[in-house]
Amino acid sequence: MAVTAGGLVKRFGGRTVVDGIDMAVPRGTIYGVLGPNGAGKTTTLRMLLGIIEPDAGERTLLGQAHPRDAGDRVGYLPEERGLYPAMKAREAIAFMGALRGLDWRTARARAGELLEAAGLGHAAQTKIRKLSKGMAQLVQLLGSVVHRPDLLVLDEPFSGLDPVNQEKLEALILAERDRGATVLFSTHIMAHAERVCDRLAIIANGKRRFEGTVDEARATLPARVHYRPQRPGPAVATALPADAVADGDGWRFALPPEGIEPVLVRLIGAGHGIAGLSIERPGLHEAFVRIVGQQAAEAAA
Amino acid sequence: MSGRFARGLRQTLTVARRDFTATVFTPIFLLFLFAPVMMLGFSAIGGLGAASVADSGRDRAAIVAIVPDALARPMAEADTRLRTVFPRDAAPPPLATVRPVGEPGAQATRLFGAKDMDVGAVLFGPLERPHVLYARRFTRSADYLALLAAEVLADQRLGARPRVDAVKIATDPPRTSQGSRNQAAFVAVFGVFFLTLFLSGQVIGTMAEERNTKVIEVLAAAVPLECVFLGKLLGMFGVAVLFVCFWGAVISQVAALLPPGAAAAIGQFAPAVGSGWFALLFAAYFATAYLLLGSVFLGIGAQASTMREIQLLSLPVTIVQVGMFALSSAAAARPGSWLATATEVFPLSSPYAMAGRAANAPALWPHAIALGWQALWVAVFITVGARAFRRGVLQSGSARPRRSR
Repeated sequence: MAVTAGGLVKRFGGRTVVDGIDMAVPRGTIYGVLGPNGAGKTTTLRMLLGIIEPDAGERTLLGQAHPRDAGDRVGYLPEERGLYPAMKAREAIAFMGALRGLDWRTARARAGELLEAAGLGHAAQTKIRKLSKGMAQLVQLLGSVVHRPDLLVLDEPFSGLDPVNQEKLEALILAERDRGATVLFSTHIMAHAERVCDRLAIIANGKRRFEGTVDEARATLPARVHYRPQRPGPAVATALPADAVADGDGWRFALPPEGIEPVLVRLIGAGHGIAGLSIERPGLHEAFVRIVGQQAAEAAA
Repeated sequence: MSGRFARGLRQTLTVARRDFTATVFTPIFLLFLFAPVMMLGFSAIGGLGAASVADSGRDRAAIVAIVPDALARPMAEADTRLRTVFPRDAAPPPLATVRPVGEPGAQATRLFGAKDMDVGAVLFGPLERPHVLYARRFTRSADYLALLAAEVLADQRLGARPRVDAVKIATDPPRTSQGSRNQAAFVAVFGVFFLTLFLSGQVIGTMAEERNTKVIEVLAAAVPLECVFLGKLLGMFGVAVLFVCFWGAVISQVAALLPPGAAAAIGQFAPAVGSGWFALLFAAYFATAYLLLGSVFLGIGAQASTMREIQLLSLPVTIVQVGMFALSSAAAARPGSWLATATEVFPLSSPYAMAGRAANAPALWPHAIALGWQALWVAVFITVGARAFRRGVLQSGSARPRRSR
């Protein structure tokens, strides 16, 4: 495992912000930590990285009991971006590489390569304060991977990025996984997690509510069936499951545990016919809402 | 353990390098580097103004002897002889002789109201028992007039003044005198104080940049906070060393131009441990004084969240420095006393006091212990500062605890 956590607890004042979170992140995977604002995602990541110490519980990072011992093999993009405004872009990336164990010459060379690859080669000698917010964010992201870490931890990496840069970031996360790195990132935007995560944990109010693959998360809700009869009428409802609700000229209901076939046999037998039938699997967003609760999900949105 | 130490050292130096270059390679640094020129310039302008005011008063100042015509010339000749031993600034005001008119006491009193001169003291009456009327701030002038009267009287009684051809031979007094050591001790204490007063106070605001730009989160994830603190301290120490080296080079060039008399005076500077060791120990104690005070200031300043708080902290910081200087100066004047020992042991005053001790006592081994002791306290202050920062600032720094909805 790249990361393990057992019973992590963190209190600020008298308030428990993280309440016994367990986590196991397999090596070489992309692992998402999802949750509404204030769920405890950032605090969990900061404890995993050793920025703050947990009040209870244990964690390992790349097999090391103390996160600091794995420091040179970890890359980190914090939620609140931080760069020295007077530093030039290439120097800022090289500095972060040097902190993580690269010698300055290698760090500078790699920083230049990364900037070129990201389409920011022209900004290599530009001071951070003169870059746009999105460009500065990209520079910091490059700084977190310049030393080719085994574990990349990204806290809300998509926030503040325009759609083009969000796509770039998704590509970078996938490329890091393909390189063999483990990527652990937090987000409250389901679409990104749904597209890139191999596994995910959903946390709310400091507790872990779900852990598994994206498909397993979606499977916490039944698929939805949309049926349109050939001959509509009130009598159709008698052949449908009890939760069916009218929707225009058709009906919607949850896919029964025994499957769709018994329902279809009843509908055809009763002569209602089938003008249209579709079975939709629920998205991660729906699963998230069900797992964390409507109120928390609205907070995340 | 050695791997962790090597990594910590490398990270410390990376942080130090960043702080050093970020400070030195800016136009503001030139302002900092040449601040002493401005200080000297303003001092020179102020000094010239003050000298001008003093000279304008001195030009009109005078001392007066009310004597018969027969004594006027001997009085003037004695005055000329006695004046040769006074440095220019310490000489009494010029002497004027006045013929007696009427009652001498009343005449002397009237002279203080003269419009063409500011009279400081007036001698009247017989030379065997002269009276000197003087303004209170001219006590020395009154003494001088009495001495002058005695000189003239001696000339009259002896007749011709015997001729003396003195053979003057310049020599250096013993360099081991306690006076010269005390002088060296004070110079050492003052030197370390002066340098740290100017330079170490700057450390107090250095964490503000990391806090304001949120870089602290990146640093804290990559580097132990103790390394961040030490790195920042070393970075600023590098700036201080650059400053000292620059001005040291300038001053050494100026010293080469000093007249032989001034060079000889510097040659009287006789620390007990010898000049070479003294120079080395002075540099070492400057370093530890900087690092000790800097680590305390860094730890305190890191807790401040705004520039206003940092500015407010500057006063107590300066008071602490002046307090350490005062203690160490007193200790340097009383080597071997309980005060000297206490000041040498107390961590914040130890570098100052030990620099003074290097001038007063020849033993070197206490300095090895003192430097180790001071380095230990630097480590303690950095550790305490870093832990306080982690507990007080990082707990809610980047990821502030949010209120439950």
